[in-house]
Amino acid sequence: MGLISRLAASADVPVFPVVGIGGRTAARSLATLGGIRVVDHPRAAVLMLLVGRPTRSLLRPLLAVHDQLSGPRCTVWWRTGRDGGDELVAALPAVEVLPVGDASALRRVFTELVNGARASDPPALDDIETTPWRGVGPYGQGGSGMTGGTPYGRPLVGRAPDPDGLQLDQLPLQVGPFFGPFPPGLVLHLEVQGDVVRHASLGENPFTRWPGDAPLGPLESGVFFDAVAEVAPVAGLELARARHHLRWASDALRLHGLCSPARRLAALAERIAPGDAELVVRIARQLGRSRSLASVMRGVGVVDPERHGLRQGIVARSTGVPEDARLSDPAYRPLGFEPIVHEGGDAWARFRQRLDEAAQALILAERAGERIRAPGPAVEGPRGALAAGAPSPSGQLLGILPELLVDQEWGDALTIVTSLDLDVEEAAHEVPAEASA
Amino acid sequence: MTWSSPLAGVLLVGAVLVAGAFVVVVVDRAWGSIAAHQRVRVAALVAGPARDGALLLLTRPSTTERPDAQAWVLAPALVVAMAAAVVAAVPLSPGIAVADVDDGIVLIGAAFALVMVGVYLHGWSANSPMPLTGGYRFVALALSYEMPLALVLIAAALPAESLSVGAIVASQHDIWNVVRQPLGLPLYLVVGLGLATWGPLNMADGADLAGGTTAEVSGVSRLSWELARRSVLVAVAVVGAAVFLGGWQGPLLPGWLWMAVKTLVLVAVLTGLGHRVARIRLERFVVVAWAVLIPVALVDVFVSGALAL
Repeated sequence: MGLISRLAASADVPVFPVVGIGGRTAARSLATLGGIRVVDHPRAAVLMLLVGRPTRSLLRPLLAVHDQLSGPRCTVWWRTGRDGGDELVAALPAVEVLPVGDASALRRVFTELVNGARASDPPALDDIETTPWRGVGPYGQGGSGMTGGTPYGRPLVGRAPDPDGLQLDQLPLQVGPFFGPFPPGLVLHLEVQGDVVRHASLGENPFTRWPGDAPLGPLESGVFFDAVAEVAPVAGLELARARHHLRWASDALRLHGLCSPARRLAALAERIAPGDAELVVRIARQLGRSRSLASVMRGVGVVDPERHGLRQGIVARSTGVPEDARLSDPAYRPLGFEPIVHEGGDAWARFRQRLDEAAQALILAERAGERIRAPGPAVEGPRGALAAGAPSPSGQLLGILPELLVDQEWGDALTIVTSLDLDVEEAAHEVPAEASA
Repeated sequence: MTWSSPLAGVLLVGAVLVAGAFVVVVVDRAWGSIAAHQRVRVAALVAGPARDGALLLLTRPSTTERPDAQAWVLAPALVVAMAAAVVAAVPLSPGIAVADVDDGIVLIGAAFALVMVGVYLHGWSANSPMPLTGGYRFVALALSYEMPLALVLIAAALPAESLSVGAIVASQHDIWNVVRQPLGLPLYLVVGLGLATWGPLNMADGADLAGGTTAEVSGVSRLSWELARRSVLVAVAVVGAAVFLGGWQGPLLPGWLWMAVKTLVLVAVLTGLGHRVARIRLERFVVVAWAVLIPVALVDVFVSGALAL
C-alpha cells in the first residue's frame, strides 16, 4: 500500500446516508460517530449507507444515487427494525450488512476499498437513454417549440412571467427523495425561476404502505405512537421529546452553516439526561440571542393557524395557540405543566419554540420521577397530538408545505422545510387503533 | 535571489498559497473543534489536510451529462491564478516582493473581481441545477462585494499617495491603517469572506444547495476547487495584513515573520467567523451591502481623503 493509500485510509470516512423505513434515528446518530463524515451529496462519498428498509418507490432513486458516487464506492446496509427489503437491495451490485451504529465496521469497509483489498462497485444502472428524444422536435431537442423538450429524460426550461411581468426561464425540477438537506423521503415537484420557487407540489410518499408490504417503522417518534395504546413512563416520553428537538435543532444549525455548534447539539441529544435542563436552557438562551440566526429565519414561512387549519401542535404553539394534549393529560397535572407559546409563527418562532420545549421537557422529566402515563386518547408527540383516526402531525404539515414554498428563494424554502420538522414516514403511518379503546 | 525572476516568483507565490491553504484548513478545524466543544487534537488537525487530500487524489473525478469540460477544469485554475496575482502584488517584506507594481491596488481589485468568473464557471460547467444556482448566486452578489472592496482599498491608498502596496505598507510606519481608518478593515473582511465563498457568505457552495458549485465534483477536481477557495482566503488575509495591519512592520521579528503572523491572525478571524455567524440570506445581504456597506465605505474614502490633504 503506497503512501497516498495509507494517508487516504486514515481520513474521516465520507458517508452519504440514504434512509429507508425505520432508519431515521440510526441515520441521525451517524453525525455523532467519531471518524465519520456525513456528506451533503453522493459525489463526495465513498460509502453509500442504506439505513432501514427500502421501498419499491425508493429503489430507482437509490440506484441513481449509487451511481453518482464517484468511486471507489461501496454500499453498506444498517438493517433497523423489521426484516425485509432484501429483494430490492439485491438490485444493487454488492451490499454488506453492518451492525447499526458501528463506526469501526464502516471504517473497515472504507479502508479495504481505499487500499484496493475490496473492488469498487460497478454501476447499478445501464448507461442508456430512458426515453427516446434525439431528433424529435424542430431542433432535435426532444420536444416542441424552441425550449420545450425532454433531453436525457429531463424537461428543458419553459417560459413564464415573473412578478415584474418579465418572461423568464422556468425550470421544472424534482427534488428528493434523497436530497441531503431535505427530510428523508420528501419529494417535491418544483418550478423555479433562478433560485425562486414559483410552483411547488408534493410528490408521492415513498413510504406509503401497499397491500402485502411489511409494516412501517420503527418511527423516530415511535415512543409517542406506542404511548397512545400502552403505558409509558412520563420521564421517558419527555426525554425522547427533548432528544427529538435537540436533534432537529442540530439539523437546523447545519443547514444555516453552523456545522460545529450542530455537532455539539447532536452529541448532546444522544446523551441527554434530566439533569441537563440547565445546560439546555443556557444553549436555548444563547442561540435565541443570535442575531445572524434570527436574520436568516425571521419572517420566513409564516404560518397562520386559521388559514392553514393548524389548531394544535408545536407549529401552532409558535403562532401563539396554547394547545397541547398534555394540558388534559392526568399524568402531567401534578407536574405543573404549562404550554410554552411564541408569537409570529415564522421559522424563527418555531426554532425558539423547539429549543424552549426541549428545556421544558427535561424539567418535566426531572419532576416526573417514576410517574407512569396510562394509555389515553391523545399523546402530545414532538410535532403535535397523536390520536387514533386523526391525521399525523407530519401529514398536516406536509399539506401546508407547498403553499409556504411559493415565491420563496431557495435558501428560504429550505429554511421552511427544515423549520416544519417533517417526517415523511410518520405521515404514512397510522396511529394504533387500540388507542380509542 | 531576485524574487522578481519568473521561477522564483512562481515558487514563492505557490509556496505562500499552498502553505496558506494548509494553515486555513488547520485553523478552521481547530475553530470547529472549539465551537463543537470537542477536544482539539493537534496531531489529527495537522495530518487532516494531507489525509483528505490523499483521499481526493484516490477518488475518481465525476462527470455529468454534457458538462462544459474545459470550463470545469479552467474554473479552479482561474481562481488560483487570481489569488496568485494578488499575492504577487504584495511585498512580504522589504526584500521579498515578486511584483510590487505601481498600480498594485488596482491589480488586486481587478484580480479579486475576476474570481467571480471562476466561481460562475465552476457552477455553470456541471450542467446541473444546484451548481448552476450556486454560480448565479455568486454573480448576483459579486458587485455587492466589489464596490466596498474597491472603496476601502482606495481609502487605504490615500495616505500613501500611491497605489503601490509597498508604499501603502511604508505609509503605516507610524500608525497602521486599522487605527487610522477604523472602518476599513471590518468592511474589507466582510467582502473578503464573500470573495472566498466562506462561512456566512458561502452562498455559492452552501449547504442548502447540497454543496452548490461543488455538488457534482469529486476527486482531483474537488481537491483543486478546495485549494482554489482557500487560496482566495489566503490572498484576502495577505492583502489585509499588508494594507491594514502595517505589513512587515513590527519590532524584533524579521519582516516576513511579522507578515506571516498578521496574515495568520486574519485567517483566524475569517475562519472563526464561519463557526460563529449563520449563513446570511442573499437578498438581505444585497440590501445591507448597498444601503450600509457601500455608503460606509464612501465615508471611509471621504474621511481618509480629508485627513490626507
